[in-house]
Amino acid sequence: MEDAGMIAAWITPGCEQTAAGEEGFRQLYEVTSRPLWGYLHHASGRPDVADDLLQETYCKFLLRHAPGMDEAESRSYLFRIATNLLHNRVRSRDDAALEEPAETGAQTNEETRLDVQAAMRHLKPRERELLWLAYVEGMSHAEIAAATGLGALSIRILLYRARQKAGEFLRPQRIKL
Amino acid sequence: MKQMSCEHESGVIRALHSGEWSSELRLHAAECADCRQALFIAEALGAEALRVEAGFRPPDAHWIVQRSRRMAREIAMRRVALLLAGIRALAAVYVAAAVGWLLRGYVAIQYREVASSMSGAATGFALMGAMVAAVFVVAGLWPILHDRPGQG
Repeated sequence: MEDAGMIAAWITPGCEQTAAGEEGFRQLYEVTSRPLWGYLHHASGRPDVADDLLQETYCKFLLRHAPGMDEAESRSYLFRIATNLLHNRVRSRDDAALEEPAETGAQTNEETRLDVQAAMRHLKPRERELLWLAYVEGMSHAEIAAATGLGALSIRILLYRARQKAGEFLRPQRIKL
Repeated sequence: MKQMSCEHESGVIRALHSGEWSSELRLHAAECADCRQALFIAEALGAEALRVEAGFRPPDAHWIVQRSRRMAREIAMRRVALLLAGIRALAAVYVAAAVGWLLRGYVAIQYREVASSMSGAATGFALMGAMVAAVFVVAGLWPILHDRPGQG
């Protein structure tokens, strides 16, 4: 709740120019930067692109965010900016190819990790975005529609197809309920 | 082939993230192939997210704020420069129109007076001088009208 209070204080118009406002932004940044970077990394397939776009996303957010946004709206708006920047990058350069993610830990099952990487490598950027927003970020179809600019009605079928495609590369015997 | 996912899929994924499972939803997820697949993919992607994000070191928030302020200043400067360029172009058009309007009446009067007192050769020489002057005026206006914003 303390974080939410700081973020709400920062969202007050003109507040970002003050020390308290910057502290509010810092709280929002700490809450959202990691998942946003993860999204950009997996949707673009490149950590360097994710680094660039993450900074650009927050700069654009600071320049454009509407007064009165709550934390959920700010988060949704951040993902929307990030998605637009990602699409612009894919359109302007042909760097959508997925690269091997950097080795950063070994806590997860190695086979599953390789399966996920293979699945992501075979998916289109749009499919990676949908899967990530739905299953990692836990966004509703309406939120995904807002973040991607797609029609809310088409999200369900597009997500279904992306899931089917990803499912071909993942092994269902590891399901744990 | 079935083309739509299970209507409970969103609820199942929400339950996975919140940890709040109802017994009906848990039973459904165990029996529904779509929800089982969605759950498996969500767990696999979630584990991959944790693994990759563990190595991420975000840049300092203060640095992002400073960069956004620089961007805001640059955008404001570009807008002002564009406005000034527009004003200068309008001013140049206004001056050209005003000079043309003034000269139109003046030249008509002067031409009648000069033509009545000058020979044919002197008239040609005067017209050539006027053309040279016009070329210099256009050359002088050119850099003003083609000055790009942001070049000072």
